[in-house]
Parts: sequence; C-alpha cells; structure tokens
Amino acid sequence: MPQGNSTGGQIVAILEVRDLHKDFGGLKVLFGIDLSVEEGERHAIIGPNGAGKSTLFNLITGKYTPTRGRVLFDGRNITGLPPHRIVRLGLARSFQITNIFRIMSVFQNVRNAVLSRMGIRYRIFPRLSKLASVDEEVDFILSQIGLLEKRDIPAGELAHGQQRALEIGLTLALDPKVILLDEPTAGMSSSETRDTVELIERVTEGRTLVIVEHDMDVVFRIANRVTVIYYGKVLASGRPEEIRNDQRVKDAYLGEERT
Amino acid sequence: MEVTLSSMVVQGLHGLVYGMLLFLVASGLTLVFGMMDVLNIAHAAFYMLGAYIGSTILVVTGSFWLALVLAPVAVGLLGALVERFFLRKVHVHGHAFELLITFGVFFVVGEVVKWIWGNFPRPVDPPRVLSGSIHWMGITYPVYRFFILGVSMVVLMVLAYVFLRTRVGIAIRAAVSDASMVSALGINVPKLFLGVFSGGTALAGLAGVVAGPFLGTYPGMGLDMMVDTFVVVVVGGFGSLLGAFVASLMIGELQSFGVLFIPRLALVFQFLLMAVVLITRPTGLFGEKV
Amino acid sequence: MSRFTLLRTVLLGVGAALLIVAPSVLSVVKTRMLTEIAYFALFAVSYNFLFGWAGLLSFGHAAYFGLGAYVTAISLKHMPGLHLLVGMGLGALAGAVGGAIIGFFCVRRKGSYFALLTLAFNQFLWAIAWKWREVTGGDDGIGRFVPRRPVDLGLFYLDLTRIPNKYYFTMAVVVIFLAMGWYLLQTPFGNTIQAVKVNEERAAFLGYNVNRSKLLIFTLAAFYAGIAGSLFALFQDFVATSAIGLGMSTEVLFMAFLGGTGSYFGPILGAAIFVYFTDWVSSITEHWEFFLGVLFIVLVLYFHRGFIGLIPSKVRGVFAAGK
Repeated sequence: MPQGNSTGGQIVAILEVRDLHKDFGGLKVLFGIDLSVEEGERHAIIGPNGAGKSTLFNLITGKYTPTRGRVLFDGRNITGLPPHRIVRLGLARSFQITNIFRIMSVFQNVRNAVLSRMGIRYRIFPRLSKLASVDEEVDFILSQIGLLEKRDIPAGELAHGQQRALEIGLTLALDPKVILLDEPTAGMSSSETRDTVELIERVTEGRTLVIVEHDMDVVFRIANRVTVIYYGKVLASGRPEEIRNDQRVKDAYLGEERT
Repeated sequence: MEVTLSSMVVQGLHGLVYGMLLFLVASGLTLVFGMMDVLNIAHAAFYMLGAYIGSTILVVTGSFWLALVLAPVAVGLLGALVERFFLRKVHVHGHAFELLITFGVFFVVGEVVKWIWGNFPRPVDPPRVLSGSIHWMGITYPVYRFFILGVSMVVLMVLAYVFLRTRVGIAIRAAVSDASMVSALGINVPKLFLGVFSGGTALAGLAGVVAGPFLGTYPGMGLDMMVDTFVVVVVGGFGSLLGAFVASLMIGELQSFGVLFIPRLALVFQFLLMAVVLITRPTGLFGEKV
Repeated sequence: MSRFTLLRTVLLGVGAALLIVAPSVLSVVKTRMLTEIAYFALFAVSYNFLFGWAGLLSFGHAAYFGLGAYVTAISLKHMPGLHLLVGMGLGALAGAVGGAIIGFFCVRRKGSYFALLTLAFNQFLWAIAWKWREVTGGDDGIGRFVPRRPVDLGLFYLDLTRIPNKYYFTMAVVVIFLAMGWYLLQTPFGNTIQAVKVNEERAAFLGYNVNRSKLLIFTLAAFYAGIAGSLFALFQDFVATSAIGLGMSTEVLFMAFLGGTGSYFGPILGAAIFVYFTDWVSSITEHWEFFLGVLFIVLVLYFHRGFIGLIPSKVRGVFAAGK
C-alpha cells in the first residue's frame, strides 16, 4: 500500500489536492486546484480575500464536499469523508474565527481534544477526575502554548491573542501528522504576531504544516514553500524567494496586499 | 360512500376548502420562521382566538360581517403584544427559549379559551345569506364553503400583490432570505418583523372566524390546526409562501381523500408525511434554509 | 475529606433517612404523592439528558415514557406468570428501542426541525395507541395488571398492594438510576455530550462523531423515560393514551424547566414542585392548568434558570459535579 512518506529518495506527498472544484449552487469558488504538500514541509497558502483559501481548507478537512476533484491524505482518498473521520486519520485544522468552547475552562477545552485523541470518547469507566494521564497531558500542552496559569479560566474570558493560542493548542492536542492553520495571526498586534510565530515554529516541529496567511513577514519567516491562490485558481507555487520574485504574483497580489 | 364522479368532486372541493384555510394560517407561520428563524408554536392559538372572539362578536352584535372584520384586528393586536413583550424579551437566550415561550403562550391561550368560553364546542351558524347549498351539474355543495374559498382567494391575491409589487413586500422577501443584510440596508428589521408577525396572526384569526361555522369552534381546534400547519410549513419549505400554498392544498386533499379511503390510518399519515419530509428533504419543496 | 464532600455526605445521609421514614410518618395521600414525585423525577431527569446535557429540545419525550408504561402493562396483563421485573425490563427496553429508532432520524436535524420531528413521532405513537384498541385498549386504556400476590425478588417478597411497598420499590429504583445518571455526567461520555452541546462544530473537528453521541444520549434518555413509565404503570395500575400524548410531553417539559435545566438536581426539584403545585392549585381552582402555564411563562421570561436558580450558588456548589 502506497505510503505518503519518503522511502529511500522517493518523495510522495502526504497531502494532495487534485483538480478541486467547488460550486455553491451557482457561485463557483474553486476552479480546479492542484496542491501537493510533502511530509515535514511548511507550506503557506496566500492570496487575496475571497480567493478561496478558507474554502480550500473546508474542502480538505471535510466541512464541505467538493463538486469535483479529490483530496488524498497519506495515500488515502479522503474526499467526502466527514470531519471527525479525517481528524482521526491525523489531519487537524484551526479556525480563522476562533472556534473554542467558550463557556468551558481552558483546561477543559484542551482536555476535550486530548480525550478524543486518546479515543476515550464514550468511556464510562473511570470518572474524568481519576484520569491522571489525561490531566498530565493536558497540562503539558497548556504549558507549551503558554496558558498553564490560565487553566481554570473560562475560555471566553481570555484575551484575543490567548484565545488564538488556545485555538492552536486544540489542534496540536490532537497530535496530528498534518496541521492546517487558518490565518492564526488574524487581528494580532506585531508583538502578539511574533509570539504566535514562535509558538507555531515550536509546536509544529516534526509535523507537516499548511498555513493560510495574509501577513507576508510571517509567511516568509515560517514557510519553505508557498502557493498563491488567485480567485479560485493556483497562480504560482514554489519556494518563497521564487514567489517573491514572480512577476505574475507581484502584479496580481503582492502589489495590493503588502502589509 | 360510493365512488362516483360527483362524490369525488365533492371530496376534492372539501380538500380545496380546507387546504385554502390551512394556507391562510400557515402563511404567517412560514414567513415568521423564514425571517427570524422562530417557529411560532403559538400561531395556531391565534387561529383559535379568532374563532372564539369572532363568535362572541357575533353573539353581541348579531353581525357575522362585523366579526369577520373586528376579530382579526383584535387577534393581530394580541399578536403584536406577544411579539413585543414576550418573544423579543426572550430572543437573547437563544432559539430554544423562543420555542419555549411560544409553546407556553400556546398552552396558556388554550387554557384562557377554556376558562372564558368553556370546555365544550361552541356552535356558530353562518349568516343566513351564506347558508344553504348550491346545486350544479349533479353536485350539491354548501354555499358557505364557496364563501371560504372566495375569502381565501381574495386574501391570496392581496398577498400576491403585496409581495410582488410593493416595497414592503420586497423588503419582507429580502428579510426572509437574509435578515442581517436587510438591516444593513437601513430597513428597520424589528419593525418589519413585528408587522409580519402581527399580520400573520391577524390572518390566522381571520381564518379562525371563517372556519368557525365550517370546522366548528371547539377547544381542541388550536392543537389540530397546529399540527396541520406544521406539516404544511415543513413540506412546503420554511419561508416559502408558494411552498405553503402548494403544501396546504396537498395536505387538504390528502386529508379529504385519506379520511374517505383509509379512515383508520388517516391520522397517522400526516405525521408520517412530516417525518418523512423532515428526514429526506428538510428544506421542503421550496424552502431555502436548512 | 474536603469540607464540601463532608457536607454533601451529611446532607445525602439526612435526605436518605427522611425518605426511609417517610411512609411511617406521612399520610397515605402524602406517601402516594412522594411516589409520584419519584418516578416523575426520573422522567424529568431523563428529559434533561436531552436538553440540559445535550442541548436537544424535545417536544415528544412522552413517547418513551408511554412505551415503557404500555409495554409493562400489556406484558403483565397478557402474559400470566410473567415476573414483575421482566415486565418492567421489557418496558424499559421498549423505551430504549423506540428512542434508538426515532432518535436515529431526529438527531440528524437541529433546533426547530429536531423539535418538530420529536413531536411528529410522539403524535404518531399516540395515534397508534389510540387506534389500536385490541392491544392498547384505545381510549379506555389497560388496567388491573399489577400482580396481586407478593412477587419473589430473591431476597424478599414484594407485596405491591400496599402503598408503602409501592413507595419503597419506586424510590429504590429511582434512586439507583438517578445515582447512575449522576455518575455518568462525570465520565468521558458525559463530557463528550456536553462538549458537543457547547460547540458542535469544534467537537466534530476534534474527532467527535456528533450524530453518534447525540443518538447515544437520546437512547439513554428514552431508556430512563421507559423505566419511569413502567414505574408509573405499576403505581397507577392503569395506562391510557394520556401516558403517551402531548399532554405528558408538555408536563415533563414543564417539570424540567420549573426546576432548572442547568443542574442535575433541577428536574428533581421541578418534579416535586410540579406535583405539589398541581395538587395544591387544583384543589383551589379548576383552572389550575392556566396558572401552571402562566408560571411557566414567567419562568421562561424572568427566571430561566428555574427554581434551582433561586438558590444561592454557594449552596448549589455543594452539589456541583466534580471538574
């Protein structure tokens, strides 16, 4: 069975998108996207607003079903699978608009993710309070994202930057092979952005990262590969320096969006 | 009953009349849901109120026509009160509480009706002018039922005009599609909603007055109508007037012929129909949202 | 032992003692009322599995209560020699199976659609109960099925012709299942249900199968409702369409909200208030249902946390579930 990792020089993509189209009842958003992400890569997806980046994420992670085309993860065809199945295969995402359990504590938030990762979703023995290994792992993740002191605070009461960190923490807690981050630095000040970039670099070591971003500094700092999506189509794909110097890209996008 | 052409036509007419009545009631319900995502469980209670208030006006003034005009107005006002002081207050707590408050209102109205008018059916006679039957091509059919058809047609045409030709109508249709967008365009959505809610209940009240002599004025009429209107709104699609119209006629005919051919199962049938639609195509025939 | 746990244990002990001596000190009428409160409490708590825990608003929960009541009654009546516990078990099972089948279709939809579906299925079952006279007795119902002779329960014999025995039996069953439910709330399964309620989308993207967890809690709620229904049948020795109709669905909904759906004990309090209130008000006026409805509206408008919300949170905290 073909594996999505490299064996003796043969590099196969861990995440692959082939000819992806998406139509929302007459409104066409994606016109045949091809994307290939190798294991361990740091792949940034950039493009103007409305270009279809979030839709692409939603298609990959199972929120929507593509009108045409396929999504392959680790050699498997995951097109049309429901989100929970895709997550269990090792592909996890964060949300552009913070999507956490607001009335639950920070600790409980991460615990939800850890319990799921451990497959303890329907267990009725033992009680939650007796699962020390779960608690330890949750605290470890909290320390990684810098929220350990906030563990008992309701997640909705965190500051914006901390909520974004929790958002990343939830995704990380699933121990995925591939992490998809959707505009993790959205709405952040430059110091918050710096902290978040540092956090991302730290926690995504050893994993594959696909990140949608608007902030070019972040992109050029984190990514070793960039794909530009322009109004539903792939405009260019390559190393950051190549993209930076690509005339088509400059004309279409970087000229408008330089932050 | 033997199956003859004339008896089938009569059954068909029964279904048509009931279907039109259903539409009068269901139209308000589906619009309100389409606009604000609120399923007004109390809606059928206003139908019942219309029938009872109408019957009292009839007794007090002796005029069916006065009842026909005044009762819907009274019911519309009550509807406005409910929206303004109950529904709006509970809006912040979410959809579940909106459902709960309308449920509570339905329950209380039912009790109030029993308290004021008694827990037994109240006979209401149609005005002399409209009583009796018409004989035509071998069919005998009560005049009053044609009257119901007539009233419904008039209402239908007025609704069609309002929705297709007037600014208010267009605003309402837009709000059904996307309320927040309409608000952003500067239209006072709360006022619009109050108007639609109140108008819808007034229409239900009118249907109640009209239905009194036909279906009877009795304490359980709210519940019976509620279930039927829910089926209509589900099958026709939440928010769609056209859907409500088509579905109302469908349900009307289904009930009419169902009761005729499979009386034992007729009752069971419509719940099953609603369940089937909810399961397979929750947007109904013409609805947009899920 | 922390102060809270000590306080909690003492309170529970006192409560248990009171419940045990109740039939000896209270009149037969009051003992009957307590028994009613007991099985309605179980019913209301089962309702709260759906609303308080999972955020599912059902208008047709009496379907499973009614299934439990009818199946228990029918099996005890038509299968002579059937053991009491087996009859009850069949009732509970009927509730669970009904819940699993109906739940399968209902949980796929949200909000008003879910509510309408539960209503439709409830009405469907009610219509069957009404029309299928040969089996259910239709309007006339089924009566006289409770065993007249003492039932062998292994350790002792249970004579159900005496009220105190009905009380103890009902209380014991109710307390056991309420305790299990309380425990369940603190397990990973309980957490899954609540996480799905708080943020369904995020839960799905954390790997939770949302439909399956909803179906599981729906079935469990129906199972508990079925148990309550069979206890109801044994207590009344009579089951008619009122046990499975919209009226009963309305009552359990009122009970849960009266007490408060935000806590495990709320519905228990709600059942007590409901039974006591209807008993008291119905002796004053025949329009007690009107006042019940008004009370409900007032609660929804001003005290949406229910009566238990009136208790200061420090006191409530004694009984809060562990983190």
